[in-house]
Order: sequence, then C-alpha cells, then structure tokens
Amino acid sequence: MDKNEVYQRVVKVVCEVLGIEPDIVQPESHFVFDLGAESTDSIRLVEAFEREFHIEMDEDAALRVKTVGGAADFIAEYLK
Amino acid sequence: MSVSAQLESKRHPLDSIFSPKSVAVVGVTATPGTVPYDIFYNILTSGYRGTLYPVAPGKRSICAVRAYRYVVDIDDQVDLAVIVFPAEVVDRALEQCGQKGIKAAIVISAGFREIGPEGLKREERLKAICAEYGISLVGPNCLGVINTDPVVRLNASFARKMPLAGRIAFLSQSGALCTAVLDYAREKQIGFSKFVSFGNKAGVTETDLFEYLHQDPQTDVILLYLEELREGRKLVEVARRITRGPNAKPILAIKSGRTPQGADAAASHTGSLAGEDPICDAVFEEAGIVRVNTLDELFNAATMYAYQPMPQGNRLAIVTNAGGPGVMATDAAVSMGLTVPRLSETTQQRLRESLPATANVKNPVDVIGDARADRYQAALRHVLDDPQIDQVLVILTPQSMTDIEGIAHGIVHIVRNASKPVACSFMGAEDVGPGIRVLQEAHIPHYILPEWACAAMAAVQRIRTWRALELDEPEELPVHRHAAAQILDQAPSGYLEEPEALAVLAAYGLPVPAHRLCSSPEEAAEFADQIGYPVVLRVVSPQVVHKWDVGGVKLNLQDSSAVRTAFTQMLQSVRQAVPSAEIRGAVVRRMIPPGHEVILGAKRDPSFGPVLMFGLGGLYVELFKDVTFGLAPISRQGAQRMLRHVKAFKLLEGLRGSPPADVDNIQECIQRLGQLVADFPRISELDINPLIVGPKERGNTVADVRIRLS
Repeated sequence: MDKNEVYQRVVKVVCEVLGIEPDIVQPESHFVFDLGAESTDSIRLVEAFEREFHIEMDEDAALRVKTVGGAADFIAEYLK
Repeated sequence: MSVSAQLESKRHPLDSIFSPKSVAVVGVTATPGTVPYDIFYNILTSGYRGTLYPVAPGKRSICAVRAYRYVVDIDDQVDLAVIVFPAEVVDRALEQCGQKGIKAAIVISAGFREIGPEGLKREERLKAICAEYGISLVGPNCLGVINTDPVVRLNASFARKMPLAGRIAFLSQSGALCTAVLDYAREKQIGFSKFVSFGNKAGVTETDLFEYLHQDPQTDVILLYLEELREGRKLVEVARRITRGPNAKPILAIKSGRTPQGADAAASHTGSLAGEDPICDAVFEEAGIVRVNTLDELFNAATMYAYQPMPQGNRLAIVTNAGGPGVMATDAAVSMGLTVPRLSETTQQRLRESLPATANVKNPVDVIGDARADRYQAALRHVLDDPQIDQVLVILTPQSMTDIEGIAHGIVHIVRNASKPVACSFMGAEDVGPGIRVLQEAHIPHYILPEWACAAMAAVQRIRTWRALELDEPEELPVHRHAAAQILDQAPSGYLEEPEALAVLAAYGLPVPAHRLCSSPEEAAEFADQIGYPVVLRVVSPQVVHKWDVGGVKLNLQDSSAVRTAFTQMLQSVRQAVPSAEIRGAVVRRMIPPGHEVILGAKRDPSFGPVLMFGLGGLYVELFKDVTFGLAPISRQGAQRMLRHVKAFKLLEGLRGSPPADVDNIQECIQRLGQLVADFPRISELDINPLIVGPKERGNTVADVRIRLS
C-alpha cells in the first residue's frame, strides 16, 4: 500500500470517528487543536485505525502521534 | 478622543477578565459533564449580559450556538478568552488569542507547573506569549472566574451554581476548594461580589487582584485562600495600602502549609526556626492581613464585617436566655481581647423595668429561660442604647416555651435601625433552624457557638485597631557602612571568621565587647591587661567551626599568667583535635557578666527577602520555639512588636522582683541588625546567639555571632 493510499484511508477514518468533513483535514492538522478531538476520541481513533489496516499498534506510542500526517506515517511503518 | 474611546482608556486591565463585553470559550467540546462543555454551558445559562462565542474545531454549533473553528475566525472583537483545551495545545490557542487582539485570558486547563519540569516549560511559554501580546492571564490550572454584578453576571467557571450576589470577594489558589466554598456559602446565604480561582498565577497574582478589588465598588471585604506565596514583599506593600486609609477594605486570609519547610537544610538557629509559616504569621500582621485557620473562621469574620457596622470599641454586651452560655461567651470574649463591662446605671434601671425580678441586669444580661420576643427586644434595645457598649451578642437556647422564629423576627426589627453591630448565636441545630434562617435572610451574622461569634467580633476589632494604628517607617540609624562593606565585599562565601564578624556588627553599632585577635600568648596577656579581667579566649581558625568541641574556648581567666597558659594549652588542644587547622590566633575579650540570654537572627527568605528573628535564648528557643519575626529593615514599632510578641517577654520586663532588662537597647539592636542585612544582600544567615542582656539602661553585649555569606 503506498503512502498516499494510507493517508487517504487515515483521513476517512478520522472523519468517521470525529464526525467532521474531509475538506478541513490537512496532513498537519492537529487532532485536538484543529479537529476538536476529545480525550476519549484518541482511544477510539487508535481502535479504528487498527480495524481499518488490520494491524495492532503500541497504544502508548500511537497516542503520542498528534497530527493526521503523523498518524499516516506511523501506520505506514507498521504496514512495512 | 470619542467618549467611548475615553471610557475604554479608563478601563482597568482586569475589567476584561471580570466585565468582558464578549467572551470566547476556546476548545469547547460537545460532551456534557466535561470541563470544556460545562464552562461554556455555565456562561450561557448564568444570565451573562455580553456576547458568547464557542470555539470548537470540527463542530458546527454548541448548545445551538454557532461555533468557530479558530478564535481568529470570529469577526467581532473579543474581550476575554476562556481556554479549555488540553495543556499541550493551550499555547497555540493563546497565541491565536494574541493575534486576534484579545487582552485577557483565563486558562482553566491543568498540566502546567503543578506537574513538574515539562509543565513548567509549558507555563513559561504561556508567560512569554502573554508578554508578547500584552495579555492579562488568570490561571492556568484553575476553576475560573465569577462576577455576580447584575450588569455582567458571568460564571466563567465549572462550579455547579452561580453564587448569590454579595459584598465579599473570594480569591483562591485552590480550585477544588472553591466549589466547596460556594456550596457552603449558599447554605448560609452568603453572597459574593467576585469569585476567583487563580490557580498557578502565571500572570495575574493575588496582589493584582487585591489592587483591582480595592477599586471595585461591589466589594467590601476580600477573602484569600493561599497555598504558595512567591512575592511576600509585594504582598505586604499592597495589602498595607488596601487595608488602611480612605476606601480601606479588610483582607482575611487562610495560608495553608503550616508545617515547617526547608528547616532540615538550614544550618543556623534562625534558619531552622524561620520556616515559611511563622514568617507568614508575622508578615501578615505587618501587612494588616487578618490570618485565620479555617473556612468557618474566615466566613464568620467576613460576614460580621460585611453585614454589620464597624464597632467604635471593644466593649461587648451579651443578652442571653441561659446563664451557662453567657459565661462561656464572656470567657471567650475576654480571652480574645474584647471586654464585657458592667452596664451603665441607666441601662440597668431600664432593664429592671422591662425584665422580671429574677433577671440579671448586669452583663451578660440574662432574660431568663422563659423569655419571649418582647423581653429579647427590650433587652437588646436598652443595651444598644448604652454609651458604654460598642456591640452586642444575642444568645438563645431552645426551651419548651421559646418562640424561636418570633424572637428572630424581633431581633431583625431592632437591628434594622441599629448603628452598632449585633451578632447572634441560636445554639442547637434542628429546633433553632427556622430562626437562624430568619436572621441569615436579614444579614444578621449568626454563629452556632457563642465562641465563634466572639472570634468574629474580635477579628473585626483587629481590623479596627489596625486602621487606627499610626505606622512608622524604618529609620536610618548612624552606622559605618563603609567599614562593614570593606569586610563583606572581600570575604569568600561561607562563614565569616569571628574577628571579621564582630567587626561587621561593631560597624553597625551593635554592642560588641572590646576584643582583639592575638597571635601569641604574650600579645594576649598584654591586651587582657589593657581591658581588665576576667577575660575569655576563643580560637580563630577557618577549619574550626565548633570551638567548644575541640577545646577552643577558655573562660574566666583571672590574670595574665592564666591567659598565657590557657593560650598555649588551647592551641595544643586544637592542633591535636584538628591537625589540619590553620590557626590565626585567638580572640581575647572581657568575660561578659551573666544576664538573660536572647537570640537575634536574620536570614534571607526567597519570598520575603531579609527576615529578622528574635527570641529568648537557651531553653526557650530550643524547647518552646518562642521566637518572633519581622521584615528588614524594620521600624521602631516593628522591633517593639517583635519584642512583645515573645511569650517570655515578661521575663525581660522584670518578673517577681527581678530587675528589668535593657529592652530599649534590644529594640535598637533589632533595628540595627535589620539595617545591616538590608544593606548587604550577601548575608544569607546571621545568628547573634546569645546577646547577653544587661539591666535597664546598662546595655547588652554580643557574646557570640555567626554570619554566613552567599
């Protein structure tokens, strides 16, 4: 899976979980400051990414990722 | 300049915190029961008179109010931002507020200096942003701000309810305590003008709030709960200005953390005794802040002050339907500095005419257990009319025939037209409840225990006495500053050696005995001949701090031969005990005649700067920690206060036939010591222990001194 496809699917998951429109999501968008994620949303995002990409992530490391682009890079590393 | 521009220029910077025309809550979420949501909801539903904007990225609206993604997206001017984002992004939100031109912010979020170095770094970043954009910041890590003024009605907090409006301002460093206080106050019908949780005080501090509330027409009395004091000097300076003079407003405070801190690390007596708490006690007194220990005491005193006129003196009349509580109240009143004088003959005569023959018409006035409202009203009216009475305490115990509510209404009726303060104590709980509510609704201070009423009246008395006091400033006494500077500027850090320490004290006019550093037995004997016998020898060596332990002190030497022998023996003994000691010689001085021993000390406190300590020496200081503190430099009055606040002061005044000591000279020594440590910031700790006190007008003598330089 190439990086662009990972990013597009990450955006899809983010929009579904946070209930937002894709047009406000950028690679540098901060989950909390730019997209309004609440603390409980972080856990829900990690679970949704794991389902979407069929991977199991280190939760502590995953929760340290703060931006959409950062999440795509983090997941791409797992998919390697 | 237009009228509106002129009005705007007169606005205090904190007006935007307390009376904003528009508020943005930045970081609102859509989940009820979370702090970000509840703050927005509280502002929306508390009747706020301005305009409210939710900033909630990704949300179209919050509570049906259109939401904005960023604060910079709001088209209109915003006066106040309430930031509720998690700590990690608060700086970004605050930066945007600066870019938007918002000049006031409340940061509710926790996760700053209170969590350690990482949080401290975040907090420093907030300070930098505030400095760059000129933002007044309350918080972070706080509950928020409430203003009950009907033209504002702002509840920018996550407290459950808007408090009642009142004349008391409450400031708290603890947010959690605020919620408890609001609940407590509501039950007692206590209202607030302003309610502020200021958290980590990264921007706005308690002194900024004092200044603002001093000018606030809605506030009569300021209450403070403080955990950490960072700017002690500033607090004193500001509080003195606010608590006295025209428009004086009292400040009552709880300062928690009464356990001594940092004492373990301190090397000197002064260092180990001068923990933050005892210094706070002394400094609050110098600042005119009434310090109390509990929330009950705080609100008891505040309601007494806020709801009743200021008494003209400390004379109390007690009206009661029960003898025992009357006596208890009398004991409490007298122990707290009030007096319970006999009533005038006229008053007693009027009482005799109004009360049954079995009633006591002196003071306490006992209206007898079966008293109804008419008897209470008559007694209260007559004692209020007595020119020898300044205030009245009404006590009621619920007996089978006692018409509690009727008596309460009767008291309200009399107090409404009284020019003297009245407090009540309806003792009990369930039966007296309806009567208490009548009193509270009429703003007549009520206390479950008469002792609490007395404590509240005594606190108001302290406020009155403080306002009437004529304060003096520290005077500059003639000293040889240059001579002290020559020694202190060249000395390395650590302890000064005895000859230099004595010379520094002598330069500041402290009573140092004639002495000389002698390097040989012959020189010592020759100097001893000059000053007269008996004399003392004390070894001088940078390696020997505890002279007694190594045989480095010889006392009571009666002639030159004894001096020579002692000098030689002393040097041998010290060399044996400390082979590496470089011995400069020995200080020779007259043996000081016995007298009371006192300790004078000073230390540099991180918050208060140079602080002075005084106490009686020996057992009194070790066992009872009977010491007092003051800020340096100190005035004559301040030095006198330090002297008189020591419990053992009576010993110095002359007790049971013992002659009085030279107290005036001790007071001067305290002043001179204050001048010395204020002039030389390098002095980190100083102990004169002991100062031997001579008889009145005969002066005192420094027996030992240690000065530590930073």
